[in-house]
Amino acid sequence: MSTQVREKQPLWRQLFTSQIGKKLLTGLTGLGLTLFVIVHMAGNLSYFAGNEAYNAYAHKLLSLGPLLYIAELGLLAFFVFHIVLGVNIYLGKRKAREQGYKRYKTAGGQSKQSLSSRSMIVTGVILGVFLVLHLVSFKFGAYYEAAESIDGKPVRDLARLLNEKFQSPLYAFGYSGVMVLLALHLRHGIWSAFQSLGATNPRLTPLIYTLGALVGLLIAVGFFILPLWIFFTGGNA
Amino acid sequence: MTIYLNVWRQEGPDKPGRFETYTVPDVSPDMSFLEMFDVLNEQLTLEGKEPVEFDHDCREGICGSCNMVINGQAHGPNARTATCQLHMRSFKDGDTLFVEPWRASAFPVIKDLVVDRDAFDRIMEAGGYVSVNTGNAPDANSIPIDKVAADSAMDYAACIGCGACVAACPNASASLFVGAKLAHLSLLPQGQPERNRRVVNMVHQMKEEGFGDCSNHAECEAVCPKGISIAGIAAMRRDYVKAMLAAD
Amino acid sequence: MKLDAKEPAGPLEQKWDRYLKDLKLVSPNNKRKHHVIVVGTGLAGASAAATLAELGYHISAFCIQDSARRAHSIAAQGGINAAKNYPGDGDSVWRLFYDTIKGGDYRSRESNVYRLAQNSNNIIDQCVAQGVPFAREYGGYLANRSFGGAQVSRTFYARGQTGQQLLLGAYSALSRQVSAGNIDMYARREMLDLVVVDGKARGIITRNLVTGELERYAADAVLLCTGGYGNVYFLSTNAKNSNVTAAWRCYKRGAFFANGCFTQIHPTCIPVHGDYQSKLTLMSESLRNDGRVWVPKNPEDSRPPQQIPEEDRDYYLERKYPSFGNLVPRDVASRNAKYVTDEGRGVGATGLSVYLDFRDSIKRLGRDVISQRYGNLFEMYERITDDNPYQVPMRIYPAVHYTMGGTWVDYNLMTTVPGLFCLGEANFSDHGANRLGASALMQGLSDGYFVIPYTMGQYIAGESFQAVDTEHDAFKEAENASRERLSKLLSINGNKTVLQFHKELGQFMWDYVGMSRNSEGLKKAISGISALKESFWNDVRVPGSNDTLNKSLEFAGRVADFLELGEVMARDALEREESCGGHFREEYQTPEGEALRNDDDFAYVAAWEHQESGPAVLHKEKLAFENVKLTQRSYK
Ligand SMILES: Cc1cc2nc3c(=O)[nH]c(=O)nc-3n(C[C@H](O)[C@H](O)[C@H](O)COP(=O)(O)OP(=O)(O)OC[C@H]3O[C@@H](n4cnc5c(N)ncnc54)[C@H](O)[C@@H]3O)c2cc1C
Ligand code: HEM
Ligand code: HEM
Ligand code: SF4
Ligand code: F3S
Ligand code: FES
Repeated sequence: MSTQVREKQPLWRQLFTSQIGKKLLTGLTGLGLTLFVIVHMAGNLSYFAGNEAYNAYAHKLLSLGPLLYIAELGLLAFFVFHIVLGVNIYLGKRKAREQGYKRYKTAGGQSKQSLSSRSMIVTGVILGVFLVLHLVSFKFGAYYEAAESIDGKPVRDLARLLNEKFQSPLYAFGYSGVMVLLALHLRHGIWSAFQSLGATNPRLTPLIYTLGALVGLLIAVGFFILPLWIFFTGGNA
Repeated sequence: MTIYLNVWRQEGPDKPGRFETYTVPDVSPDMSFLEMFDVLNEQLTLEGKEPVEFDHDCREGICGSCNMVINGQAHGPNARTATCQLHMRSFKDGDTLFVEPWRASAFPVIKDLVVDRDAFDRIMEAGGYVSVNTGNAPDANSIPIDKVAADSAMDYAACIGCGACVAACPNASASLFVGAKLAHLSLLPQGQPERNRRVVNMVHQMKEEGFGDCSNHAECEAVCPKGISIAGIAAMRRDYVKAMLAAD
Repeated sequence: MKLDAKEPAGPLEQKWDRYLKDLKLVSPNNKRKHHVIVVGTGLAGASAAATLAELGYHISAFCIQDSARRAHSIAAQGGINAAKNYPGDGDSVWRLFYDTIKGGDYRSRESNVYRLAQNSNNIIDQCVAQGVPFAREYGGYLANRSFGGAQVSRTFYARGQTGQQLLLGAYSALSRQVSAGNIDMYARREMLDLVVVDGKARGIITRNLVTGELERYAADAVLLCTGGYGNVYFLSTNAKNSNVTAAWRCYKRGAFFANGCFTQIHPTCIPVHGDYQSKLTLMSESLRNDGRVWVPKNPEDSRPPQQIPEEDRDYYLERKYPSFGNLVPRDVASRNAKYVTDEGRGVGATGLSVYLDFRDSIKRLGRDVISQRYGNLFEMYERITDDNPYQVPMRIYPAVHYTMGGTWVDYNLMTTVPGLFCLGEANFSDHGANRLGASALMQGLSDGYFVIPYTMGQYIAGESFQAVDTEHDAFKEAENASRERLSKLLSINGNKTVLQFHKELGQFMWDYVGMSRNSEGLKKAISGISALKESFWNDVRVPGSNDTLNKSLEFAGRVADFLELGEVMARDALEREESCGGHFREEYQTPEGEALRNDDDFAYVAAWEHQESGPAVLHKEKLAFENVKLTQRSYK
């Protein structure tokens, strides 16, 4: 009469359907996406070194060829898993409390419940919608050829596309708004990912929480200075 | 002082519920919250009405029976305080209070403020023990246990199984309760042999009971009357991953 | 009927070992065929259910609460005794036995108590193996502290939550057997009657507290592990659901009820603060290790305690009992608190409390050490009273805490109804007239883990069992009786609530069957309670119906039983014309005001037999002391 051994589930099922596995994946994909946006943001900032520099950077990426496709595929997978699991967790939570409270109030104190933590699904879904529009606007947007060429190959003039798009207040402010949501998503997201991976302890948690919120903020700021700069200054000549 | 109450009344599990308003006059600040309900129930009984049903037993914060959400907070406004230990001095004359039961699909309402928390027992049955038969235990001092580990095992073992963590969690997740039990046993040598199986079985049972996933809101830690740390949830995740990857 | 304790022959030290050696065994195949009912899932019930299930019996376990884990045992704070002698201060099985017999003022059975002391060490081993996080020293070994009534450190503890941790250990063992399919657990059930077939206990009637349904369960043996009945006093440290109902229905079916007059009044409780008060909270006795009890010398002294200088304080326990001081046994400490408050020297708004002061130990050991030892108790005190004990002395007063009396059992823990066993606080055994701190947990677990598996097996092996199913007439009769009683309660529809009756009963009990009693008061109690019972069945109002959760109905049934119990307790106290342990008869005291036993006439267990009509009949089980010399207890 020892512990009842339940049927051992295959690894993939544990990973995708168990309450811990799911969080492990949202955490990993979330951190992966965070890394991506950091790199992306850094890339965007090269715009401030001039149109040529920016175009050159984009060109370098493109010239990675198959490697880029693999990376893009990976990125796509991250987005898909992240979104599917995020939505699944949200739907699960709705089912876990069918009848809500008339009054609900956080206890404060050590609680990390905040506007960000409670609106992960909202900020996340808006980010998802944004992403589609974003890709349509830029990645699959108008193709201008730059005057310069690198190694004899033509270069896409992405800087011009940026300059054009962010003349529009809709784009400039729309983007800035989405970046605020990104900051909110990351404020809870970064610390949460570490906790999901079990990489926290009572001594580390306050540090991770603060740093996470800070990094989230920096990423957002890093992103939205570009559209605003272009809108207000007209951008690089 | 006078307290105005809006109390959730529900005749049975499948009946619709509603809020009823009551006025309790002459409330003493030294009364406990449940004693105020005793007074209310005496009043209702004498008026020929049905008293409000609520669970309670020890009235000293250790049995985990009492469960009221008071103005949106599980166990009311005071940190580390179960409903039965909450005193009316924490409120003001003329306050209006909303009192609701724990709300979670895994804790269906039985009547009024009484809910069914059997799900917790079933999670425990899934593995919350050390498999040792009575009789053949070795001498208690044969395995020394580091005081720090023993103390922190005790921190987790202090859970009273009240379910406030679930009630307050925006996701209605039972992760703090399960994490606490697991951490208690994982920190002790006695808990090692079944460690992998225990975490897998309990975590899966938690899901089967219909609790939500944990999104790390940490609201549970803040309302827990015993101040159980969400470090237990992190530890549960580490253990689960280890168990998931283990060969056996 | 002559009471036969069935003590094994032979020298004290060998009785239990010999018993085990000669034990009749039930073969594993047969165990599976035997169904056993365990009522109650406190330390006694949970440990018994788990162990019997491990052995292969099929168990049905019942409790009132929504989970087995919430049984009243969960509230025990201080600790559990064992004769491990880990601190090396000279403890032994003999000494634990001796202290317990002496602490009980020589009103318990030597053989039972010795077995208890022998089992104590196994309990600690068992609990540690289950993962109970007892307090430890830095070296990793178990820590001990000392408790009232003992001069050695033999108390194991888990912060201020020892009962909780022990119960969670037993509950986890029970959960394991539930998952293995060996235990059917029925929570939110109240046992309302015992079913006796051919003179043997063969089943119970329960009420499903959620649906109101009456249910029948049949078995080959019934274990009553339903805890103490201190709530007969209305205010006590017991949980609100603690009751006598199950034991009382067994009493009415032929199980004798013993030593009702022995109730323990615990000296360190938080004082009453108003008439809405619903229960009393214990402050662990361990506080007396470092706290000093005092009152002002002058009854008129109304200064705040911090401003009363040393010379105006009366540390009355240290003064009267120089060698035990603040650590005198509970009954002595309680009675002395009553004396000083009777003299008008009590403190606080009601004058019904004394100080428990940590000033000196904070000075000596530092605040950190004190907070490490008692931090959570101090917190709890402050939460309830709004006073900070680091700065202001605690105020404490005695409160009803434990009932030594209970269902009479023999050495096998079997009652006078064959097949009905009684374990834990519900039985009368082991603690005599007074229970020492940290020994109730020990007894509950000893009964459940280490005694009943053998003694019940012996019974099962020695009997032949006719199949009895729940359609048997005895089940129908018992169920109907319960149903009628419930409908009666609901139909009276008088003008007083159950709580009002309970409070009135409590007042009688506290005033006349409390810390000290006398013949006149006891007679007053008997007639008063009897009148109250009359009035209850005419004037009580129980709201609601029988077919849903209805706590008013549950409590009404329990108070009805308390009303009958109270009368028997008072009669027991009246009949016992001596003072011993928790039973202090004002007529019988030494010139210094200490309890005066009368061993020639009263060294017996008083067991009461219910009569269908007329008052209960007293039976006496003579206690023989062959190994200890009866002395006047002295803690000077
Ligand atoms: C505040 C407090 C502190 C204490 N501290 C200590 C201490 O430090 N050390 C020590 O040794 N002792 C202590 N004690 C005493 C000790 O806790 C109890 O004596 C002991 O736990 C009783 O255990 P039990 O198993 O007999 O009964 P309980 O734990 O009372 O369990 C009774 C069980 O029976 C069930 N039950 C009752 N009636 C019915 C019914 N009619 N139908 C179905 N089920 C029923 C209940 O649901 C429960 O499951 C303390 C007691 C109190 C009140
Ligand atoms: C694109 C659409 C997105 C959706 C729908 C989405 C949705 C979510 C949701 C619902 C959660 C909460 C999971 C939970 O409750 O446990 C979450 C967590 C998280 N998200 Fe997103 N998100 C999106 C994009 C992003 C992006 C772009 C990033 C990074 C830049 C990101 C980073 C994170 C992180 C770090 C977490 C925390 C993971 C955890 O708690 O383990 N998300 N996301
Ligand atoms: C001001 C903010 C931003 C600007 C100016 C910006 C600009 C760009 C541009 C110009 C491209 C096209 C690059 C190419 O095709 O080579 C691009 C691609 C992309 N951007 Fe952004 N971006 C911003 C914010 C974001 C954010 C917040 C996210 C994520 C949530 C994001 C995700 C992506 C992705 C996934 C691609 C496609 C990358 C690839 O397929 O290689 N961007 N972005
Ligand atoms: S973890 Fe805390 S809140 Fe949750 S059940 Fe345990 S004691 Fe209650
Ligand atoms: S509040 Fe809920 S989301 Fe997780 S950290 Fe606590 S269980
Ligand atoms: S009634 Fe026991 S914890 Fe509140």
